[in-house]
Amino acid sequence: MQVTLEHVTHTYQPGSPFQATAIRNVNLTIRSGEFLALIGHTGCGKSTLAQHINGLLKPTEGRVLLDGQDIHQKGFNKKEVRQKVGLVFQYPEHQLFEETVAKDVGFGPKNLGLPEGEIAQRVQEALDKVGLSLPGLAEKSPFELSGGQMRRVAMAGVLAMRPEILVLDEPAAGLDPQSREDMLQLISSLHRQGTTVVMISHSMDDVARFASRAVVMEHGTVVMEGAPEEIFRHPEELERMGLDVPSVCKLGMRLRAMGIECPQDIFREEQAELALLSLWKGGAGHGAE
Amino acid sequence: MAEPIILADHVSFSYEEGGPLAVQDVSLAVEKGSFQAILGQNGSGKSTLAKLINGLYVPTEGHVTVCGMDTQSEENTWEIRRRAGMVFQNPDNQLVATVVREDVAFGLENIGVPTEEMPGRIEKALRDVGMLPFADRAPHLLSGGQKQRVAIAGVLAMQPEAIIFDESTAMLDPQGRREVLSAVKRLNREQGITVLWITHFMEEAAECDRAHVMHQGRIVLSGTPREIFSDVKKIKPYHLDAPPMARLSQALRQQGMPIRQGVMTVEEMAEEVARLCR
Amino acid sequence: MALNDITLGQYYPADSVVHRLDPRVKIVLLIVLIVAIFVAGNLLAYAPVIAFLALVTYLSKVPVKMMVKGIKPLRFILILTFVLNLFFLQGETPLLNLGFAVITKEALITAVHYSLRLVLLVMISSLLTLTTPPIVLTDGLERLLSPLRVIHFPAHEMAMMMSIALRFIPTLLEEADKIMKAQTARGADFESGNLIARAKAMVPLLVPLFVSAFRRAGDLAMAMEARCYHGGEGRTRLRVLKCERRDYIACAAVAALLALVILCGKVY
Repeated sequence: MQVTLEHVTHTYQPGSPFQATAIRNVNLTIRSGEFLALIGHTGCGKSTLAQHINGLLKPTEGRVLLDGQDIHQKGFNKKEVRQKVGLVFQYPEHQLFEETVAKDVGFGPKNLGLPEGEIAQRVQEALDKVGLSLPGLAEKSPFELSGGQMRRVAMAGVLAMRPEILVLDEPAAGLDPQSREDMLQLISSLHRQGTTVVMISHSMDDVARFASRAVVMEHGTVVMEGAPEEIFRHPEELERMGLDVPSVCKLGMRLRAMGIECPQDIFREEQAELALLSLWKGGAGHGAE
Repeated sequence: MAEPIILADHVSFSYEEGGPLAVQDVSLAVEKGSFQAILGQNGSGKSTLAKLINGLYVPTEGHVTVCGMDTQSEENTWEIRRRAGMVFQNPDNQLVATVVREDVAFGLENIGVPTEEMPGRIEKALRDVGMLPFADRAPHLLSGGQKQRVAIAGVLAMQPEAIIFDESTAMLDPQGRREVLSAVKRLNREQGITVLWITHFMEEAAECDRAHVMHQGRIVLSGTPREIFSDVKKIKPYHLDAPPMARLSQALRQQGMPIRQGVMTVEEMAEEVARLCR
Repeated sequence: MALNDITLGQYYPADSVVHRLDPRVKIVLLIVLIVAIFVAGNLLAYAPVIAFLALVTYLSKVPVKMMVKGIKPLRFILILTFVLNLFFLQGETPLLNLGFAVITKEALITAVHYSLRLVLLVMISSLLTLTTPPIVLTDGLERLLSPLRVIHFPAHEMAMMMSIALRFIPTLLEEADKIMKAQTARGADFESGNLIARAKAMVPLLVPLFVSAFRRAGDLAMAMEARCYHGGEGRTRLRVLKCERRDYIACAAVAALLALVILCGKVY
């Protein structure tokens, strides 16, 4: 399944004095099975973009296509888009409302009009996926759980719709290092199981580790697009936009500035480890001569 | 050694009588003018400790003294809170007024500062955090980093000796985090304001004078950031993340590359690589 | 984001004499004006009120369009008042016989009178909110009510609550927007169905909103305490209200107006 944004522009409150164009002429295709990272400064329009992918926002200009079909066309079933494209907002635990974890996770499937048995099955499956299959937990109130657990319940609530594309707005925001890592591993495993992932992130280290493709936005437009190695080849450009660069990229830049030959496309720690080892062995070899 | 502004002496605290201890037997001394950090995962008791220092909570056992005043005795409460101000996590939930200038005035109004004195103090505080141009804006239209700087100005206007930051950057984006941290560092350096920085971000603690790691209500490690974070193995049990360069140097050492201990920053790493590979 | 820029109340920022008036004076004068409108015994007595309103509107630099906008939500009540009075009031001088009802001169006058009264009331009140920022209004209200503290009326607390509400309304609106979107993304439907279905559909919005409001309240209380807030006692204020010459002039003008209105009522 593929979602395509064609010349999408979105203006909030058009015609009012508060009129603001959040995204401008964005063209983007989300390819089936990819892990796409959306990067950009706060206010660059990435959240607005994300809300177009599942039809929550309607473009002021342009079209959003789901497998070639315009989702805002008359007669197109919006519920189908909402089911196929799951959207996890920032701090999703703030949307929990039911008496029990199971009921909350089942809210989406219930809205799809599924039978009770099917709902129960999906709830179980979703809770298993997010690692919350502890006995008794499903019957607890979601408000009794820890922050990290609440966020996973909210994730399960989206997963229970069995989306093919999962759009996540800063899924690790506000979590401590351990819960952060758990969350990222969870997303990565969902991706490996075949879910297409679109993740908004401020952490370039996370982008470097997980994304297969990255899109950089500035002032509502896409300014860079490509595999992480291509994006991180322009660290100066990213820093100019006020974005971070993975620490190992910074190390590479620094080494090159010092006149040490360090390969360009290092952005993950494993890569840096290998490159530095071979540099050292090479350098040590020279020293021995 | 300078006199301690904040002194915790074998402090324990539980939220309900006989309940589990959120803070257990913690002793801590924060000297005047220092920049200290408390690290720990969620639920480690670090936020509870912050509130004990500010007198929002009172220890179940032990004593907390701020500028020589015990938080146990109620008559000290307001003076303690004025001298050791606090900035919280959620930027939205600590601003009271609809205009930045009036929010900064809130604390001054509370402690009865004369009206004529207020505008000067407010402007100075806002200037110190770089928010003076926003004095007449509505807080809800500011970015997270800007809101936190307004919150800092609100504390600063009360002329405190110490400021406790309770995860004040946790909800900010990288840019906001940089803004806030650099403002705080400047206050510490230029005005000698004592800072107690509570966080779970290792990078932010890297430049402090002294860091303490909390785990299950106790302080389990104390030392310079270098002593604590450059050793990946030492902090692992506390679910904290070592800085990337410390992790990388550890991995390289395991492969036999003789990187020295204590490497934390990109600059240090680059120097080490240059030393070894040239 | 969509709801981010909402302006509160209907304050129209401008630099005018009316804007600069002491909020306490404005509140008191509004009450006097309302009394004047109610004591106006006949249509002639409205003439000075309308003239005064026109003058103040001109001085305040508030566009007439903004003033008219305030009446718009009331148009149904206005029409209803007019029509009911026109058709159902008994009078002596018939003007028009429609067969099912007779419209009399007295009914017409009363209908115009009551409708005019409503329009003037709304316009004069909105002039206050258009020229006074909500926070200043709250401040004025607190000072006016503070003498009532002797009978334990919580004037300071009330004002503090109002100003906190003003501060948090945009934040909560934004949050409501976000929660609504999050639930819509899970297939919730806020728009279709009958009244009961719609009311039920609000649960997934209202519960998280309440939870969040309570969390914010808890956080805020703690932050306020940490900033040494301990009620109104011993508090000083950044903004001190002081009556100036223009305030006395305004008082005199309104007093004269009231006298004129009463006089007009007597003469006719």
